[in-house]
Amino acid sequence: MSNALRTLSKRLPSLASTAMLLLLAGLATACDEAHPRDAYAHPAADASEISAWFYNMYMVLDTIIFVGVLAAFFIALIKYRKKPGDNTLPEQSFGDPRLEIAWTIVPTLVVLGITVPTLGGLFELAKRPDQNQKIIDIEVTGKQWWWELDYKKEHINTGNEMHVEVGTQVMLHLTSADVIHAWWVPRLSGKRDATPGRSYPLNFRPKEVGSFDGQCAELCGASHALMGIRIIVHPKDGPDSYENWVKHTQEIAAKPTTPAAEAGQKVFMGKGCVACHSISGVSELAVGARSRTSGPNLTHVGSRDYIAAHTLKNTPENIATWVKNPQAVKPGALMTNLGLTDQEAKDVAAFLTSLK
Amino acid sequence: MASIADFAAAQKPIYHQERPSKTGLMDWLTTVDHKKIGILYGGAGLFWLLIGGLEALLFRIQLAKPDQHIFIGDTYNGLVTMHATTMVFLAVMPMIAGFSNYFVPLMIGARDVAFPRMNAFSWWTFFAGSLTINASLLFCGAFPAAGWTGYAPLTTKEFSGMPIDFWWAGLTLLAVSSMVAGVNFVVTILNLRAPGMTLMRVPVLTWMMLVIQFLLAFSFPPVAVGLILLAFDRTFGTVFYSTGMGGDPHLWQHLFWLFGHPEVYVLILPSMGIVSEILPVFTRRPLFGHHAVIFSGVFIGFVGFGVWGHHMFTAGMGPIADAAFASTTAIVAIPTGVKIFNWIGTMYNSKMTFPTAMLFAISFIPMFTLGGLSGMMHASPPLDLQQHDTYFVVAHFHYVLVGGALQGLFAGFYFYMPKISGKMLNETLGKIHFWVFLIGFNVTFFPMHMLGNHGMPRRIYTYPADAGWNTENLLATGGVFLMAGATLLFVYNLITSLKNGKDAGSDPWDANTLEWMTSSPPPVHNFDFTPVVLSERPLWDHKYTPGMEIPVPEQAEEIHMPSPSWKPMWVSASAGLIIVGLLTFSGIAGIPGWPLCIVGALGVIFSVYAWVTEPV
Repeated sequence: MSNALRTLSKRLPSLASTAMLLLLAGLATACDEAHPRDAYAHPAADASEISAWFYNMYMVLDTIIFVGVLAAFFIALIKYRKKPGDNTLPEQSFGDPRLEIAWTIVPTLVVLGITVPTLGGLFELAKRPDQNQKIIDIEVTGKQWWWELDYKKEHINTGNEMHVEVGTQVMLHLTSADVIHAWWVPRLSGKRDATPGRSYPLNFRPKEVGSFDGQCAELCGASHALMGIRIIVHPKDGPDSYENWVKHTQEIAAKPTTPAAEAGQKVFMGKGCVACHSISGVSELAVGARSRTSGPNLTHVGSRDYIAAHTLKNTPENIATWVKNPQAVKPGALMTNLGLTDQEAKDVAAFLTSLK
Repeated sequence: MASIADFAAAQKPIYHQERPSKTGLMDWLTTVDHKKIGILYGGAGLFWLLIGGLEALLFRIQLAKPDQHIFIGDTYNGLVTMHATTMVFLAVMPMIAGFSNYFVPLMIGARDVAFPRMNAFSWWTFFAGSLTINASLLFCGAFPAAGWTGYAPLTTKEFSGMPIDFWWAGLTLLAVSSMVAGVNFVVTILNLRAPGMTLMRVPVLTWMMLVIQFLLAFSFPPVAVGLILLAFDRTFGTVFYSTGMGGDPHLWQHLFWLFGHPEVYVLILPSMGIVSEILPVFTRRPLFGHHAVIFSGVFIGFVGFGVWGHHMFTAGMGPIADAAFASTTAIVAIPTGVKIFNWIGTMYNSKMTFPTAMLFAISFIPMFTLGGLSGMMHASPPLDLQQHDTYFVVAHFHYVLVGGALQGLFAGFYFYMPKISGKMLNETLGKIHFWVFLIGFNVTFFPMHMLGNHGMPRRIYTYPADAGWNTENLLATGGVFLMAGATLLFVYNLITSLKNGKDAGSDPWDANTLEWMTSSPPPVHNFDFTPVVLSERPLWDHKYTPGMEIPVPEQAEEIHMPSPSWKPMWVSASAGLIIVGLLTFSGIAGIPGWPLCIVGALGVIFSVYAWVTEPV
């Protein structure tokens, strides 16, 4: 082995600590980024606040334990090295029963101390909300790879973008039409599986107005990464209120006003889109119709922020790209490639964009 | 003072039947020698470690930046699935089996395992299983892509293709292999200990191996049942996991995790054992609280069967079940803490030296502690509902399995290779390996805690640029390259040491336990005479405690070693044929696979008959 390599191995500890410092610097830079989905720093509902409280509690506890262990570890490392030339044996101790008892009992007490509040938080989260208040009930069905949202009482059926009201209890009923998915919008609540054949509740009460993003958290096939969620929390009053959104969304679709949109509607009805997608007032009269097979209800698709489950920004260009070749945007997407021409795709995009 | 040179004076034993120590191809194929089988397991484990690492490298390249299109959709999912399946079942488990095979008989002063041919059968069945899982790339051009957890109904025929058939088929073979090995080693450790080696004098590594063999024997049956139900669903159209006709996907989750959690302890306990063997040697003190360390390992093994539900807090088991599993899981922290405190206690008042084996062994302590502390968070359902299936969990189990299990195994390689090959590994390369690996490991996995906290779920092949996950992902990908380079350096060190390494001698580390009293590599019969054990550190006391020398008999012992045999491989191959027949039951390219089942079944009957009637 060459001398250079030998010198290198002697300097390794100092090189290693430099590398660790660089890592910390890198992480500090990382802290400059915005974290719009940070569940612990910015909880925005009662459910996520409970999780954040536990996170902070555990962080304090874990830091104390880790620093303690590290300190004991490094003191031993520094103090008890073999000196060159010293060939005597250290004291041959097989242990100390008093110490063993102490470091069994102390962790036991710590574990008891954290399990009691944990069970409290667990039952708090599982509590059924008081039925005498206003509750927004939404049936959520996970599908490969989008979310069907059904507001039964309001007769609204939509997809991927959920609208709720600040300060009002929300109760989701999660199920799935195919494989297991998991609903997760970090800043509002922890996740809950959407399992076929079962329906599980998920409750939260939003405390902040705004848009909150999340996505499916259980591997569900090729486009699992592209199964996004947006929850829009509306204020109680004003033009942007939840009530106004409900009223607007209960209306049937707007009539196309431009020639392109009219042509797009013809393509929609004639080329096969309508086989999977409902549009109230276009493909059927009923308001809030559930989708016939697998595609989302598109009655007000023009007012959504994203298309294809939070995959593309909702612009006419993106809609055209998506309808022309869905599999190029989402691998394995179940939406059929209908072989639309560029013009047809543009027209459909104009039509869908007009459905505000 | 006595020394191990005394043992050279012993008479060579008299064989009743010669067992050749040749190393030709035929000899490796028919071997029933626990040391050769151990080397086969270890070599296979190292090979798959490199493959599993390569898979990780590929999907980390995809994740280095947002919105990339290198490995997308089911290609990415396949890489993730095979990375985990490979690392758990084909890399870490066989490396553990390698150490277990090679060293358990040596540590307890035995000549071989209790059932040497069953041991060979375990190895060949493992070999068949490892090829079967990966064969899907050859025959289907794709990897199984449902995650290593294979949650139904994603694995049913409606939602996935033929690669999943290779997955259940391979895993079923691996399950058979592990169950047989489990029974074999439990019997070996309980029955073949040298005279005087009471249970509390059994070395800690062997104790941990005993615990995991119990775990293997009792935890693989549930997952084997789950896999067979899946096979029936996919092959014969039953509906165990299909909700439409009354099946239940939760059945799979319970069966899988009832295996899956004990499995986690199967992966970590041997490394805890290795650390518990290495620390006393390089601190020159006995293991502090030796009995407490053993009992905590046993306790972890028991509790491991009662905590599987913490993988299912988001599945909706209800608050009562969640509360039960949260409480049992929190209990695991107690014995784990006891172990960590005792290892640090061993370091106090000692005179430490730091060869590479010791570096890996001590860095196990803080890295594993970090993984354990994040694990405590997951025991709390209100918090786990946020962390489940995110990168925080990915960070947690890699701190436990890479910072813990894999670093422990690396320590084991540096410590035990001199016994296996008779040559020392290069220490300079070893130290570079250690530092580069440790840094690469932390650069890769520490940022993943933040990714999880910032809302990134695991197993997603792409992410938007505005989610705030860019820096951490880039760091993580960079770290993987460091880990890969360090691991290649290790393999280079291992291979070149076989030729260029310094001669190790019998006892290069001045160690405590029986395996170091025989030559390196040990003879086919392990020990020239059966050692009598007087304490928990027989070799140390032989060297340093007057009056505690291991007596060397004057008479040569008469011994009988089992002969090489083809039969174990025949049974494995026939069982493999049944499985291949099932997985191609309705045919590939028009050729039905079911006749293979009949051929395989006849093969099993014939070769088992040949096995039991074979003279040994």
